[in-house]
Amino acid sequence: MMTVTDRSAYPTNRAAGIKLSKLTKKFGDVVAVDALDLRIEAGQFVTLLGPSGCGKSTSLHMIAGLERATSGTIEIGGRLVSEVPPQDRDIAMVFQSYALYPHYTVWENIAFPLRAKRRRTSKAEVEERVRYASSVLGLDGLLDRYPRELSGGQRQRVALGRATVRQPAAFLLDEPLSNLDVQLRLEMRSELKDLHERLAATMVYVTHDQAEAMVLSDLVVVMNGGVVQQAGTPLDCYNNPANTFVAGFLGEPGMNLLPGRLERERLFVADGVRVRVGEPLPSVVGRAVLGVRPENLALGAAGDDGITGTVRSVELLGSRSLLKVVVDGQTVTASVPPVVGVGPGEEVTLRVTDSAHTRVFDADTGSSLTVSPPAPLPGRHDTLHRVTP
Amino acid sequence: MTRRTLFTTLLGLVLALVVGPLVWSLATSLKPSGQILSAPPALLPDPATLDHYARLGREGVGRNLLNSVVNSLATVLLALVGGAAAGYAMSRFRFRGSRFLLVFFIAAMTIPAYSLLLPTQLLFDRIGLLDSAVTLPLLYVAHVIPMVVWVTKTQFDALPIELEQAATVDGYSRWEAARKIVIPGAKPALIAAGAYAFLVAWNDYITAATMTSSPALRTMPVALTFFQGFHGREWGPLMAGVVIATIPPVVLFIVFRRYLVGGFLSGAIKG
Repeated sequence: MMTVTDRSAYPTNRAAGIKLSKLTKKFGDVVAVDALDLRIEAGQFVTLLGPSGCGKSTSLHMIAGLERATSGTIEIGGRLVSEVPPQDRDIAMVFQSYALYPHYTVWENIAFPLRAKRRRTSKAEVEERVRYASSVLGLDGLLDRYPRELSGGQRQRVALGRATVRQPAAFLLDEPLSNLDVQLRLEMRSELKDLHERLAATMVYVTHDQAEAMVLSDLVVVMNGGVVQQAGTPLDCYNNPANTFVAGFLGEPGMNLLPGRLERERLFVADGVRVRVGEPLPSVVGRAVLGVRPENLALGAAGDDGITGTVRSVELLGSRSLLKVVVDGQTVTASVPPVVGVGPGEEVTLRVTDSAHTRVFDADTGSSLTVSPPAPLPGRHDTLHRVTP
Repeated sequence: MTRRTLFTTLLGLVLALVVGPLVWSLATSLKPSGQILSAPPALLPDPATLDHYARLGREGVGRNLLNSVVNSLATVLLALVGGAAAGYAMSRFRFRGSRFLLVFFIAAMTIPAYSLLLPTQLLFDRIGLLDSAVTLPLLYVAHVIPMVVWVTKTQFDALPIELEQAATVDGYSRWEAARKIVIPGAKPALIAAGAYAFLVAWNDYITAATMTSSPALRTMPVALTFFQGFHGREWGPLMAGVVIATIPPVVLFIVFRRYLVGGFLSGAIKG
């Protein structure tokens, strides 16, 4: 990617904040998004993360004005835009399919937003801005080509060029990298991060890829079933999941979740499990779910406190191995050094490397019972699902 | 005989069947009257003459040609504007009865047009639309519009909705997005549907002969029948008329051939 040092072509940053209040979308009887409250600060990179059908794309489409909200309000830059058509919301969007206009060249595609009647951009300015955007994205030699003559990565850049050619209040990105192969996806991910830093723009990004969310975001909003499960910094969501859904969804593989009983003295027990859990924890005794990440488990010696079971498989990943151990019918995964020295069928004990890394969840609601130190949350979610004692 | 030779011979035969009558018509239209039915028949006119074309001019066939052109262009315009708008609505909007309407349009295509001729004539007579300047374009549009709706709807279905959404986000109204993105995107189907509408109107004889009788409204195919008398045919002017009447469809096909095949295929095969 070409580096452009002259930024004078870009006028002052116009990034604006976005506020969603009780935003709801129903399709017939199906609630796609349920009373979404979210405040996004100007210049923030926010990711809506979740599995297919969780309502993240619908939420983005409502912000764009492409989908009409059933109820609730949307504000962009302090202006109520719930009833404003997309063309008047001052946003730019990158679609999963790129949505490049097939009968226009790359130059025409990038210039398209500037040539809209309502923008009244002079020819000279269009020329200058297209040249700037295309040079930033390394598209200089491709301006006369048609989208069908471009590779996936080049199309992706054109879509970004079309979005960044003007300075909208916010950029909306709907799984923009999901059609790229792995190598290109990693490359474009870094370029997106650079782009955000350079433009200092408000970006709302939708993905089901947690690695993208972790790398890119200031704020991650984890959604499931149309409901926000947790909103926080990537690290906070990873380290202090608000509930079992977030715990299992974040991480590759996700957090191990074992049902059992919390006894006195912070001792968690189940068949084959005896683990001392970390503080602080409300003084509860009874049914609970233990959460521990694979990287916080290590092979222990027989007789140690920990999780005891039979090795099902060892998956070598290169720098690490995933050790899958069956404990009372449930598979527990440990991320261990590549050479483990055990094989399928052997009985092993996995010890928790640091009890501070364990999490305990309510057995009925799935909410976290572990009280974590409050982390700074930019644009913190109003209805953060963090359980307090 | 090799497979290739057989194929070439077959192609040659088909070509002769298609082009032969056209060449013969052209040659006949240029022959002096005495040479047309000579035995043995001469392929090339000797000498070539434009007398038959001049005769058409004297008989006022120019006016009939103009009528055919106006009727056909009006049909194309009305069928495309109405049909494409309906096709777009059926593709993009879900409304009560939209499915029924689509089935209704398809069902309409299965009714033989000529079976409706008599009732239509009675109806038009009653409402005072018989033998007027709008009679034929109205009937042609009614005849072609189900096909236009079907072809354009299928094309719009294949056009990703994201393109229009992207255009509105980029600052264009729905109408501007349709003009800048949707219509160019649907060009193959629009051209194919337009060509179909043109050919239906241009080639029609029965409807024009049934619904109009004034000489001022006479179209080219009807006018040419006046050169076929009870006691014999005037082959020279008849063939000159046929040559003139063949030119527009041939030109249409040559100019738009890449869209015509693609357009109907896009209507046939989704995506």
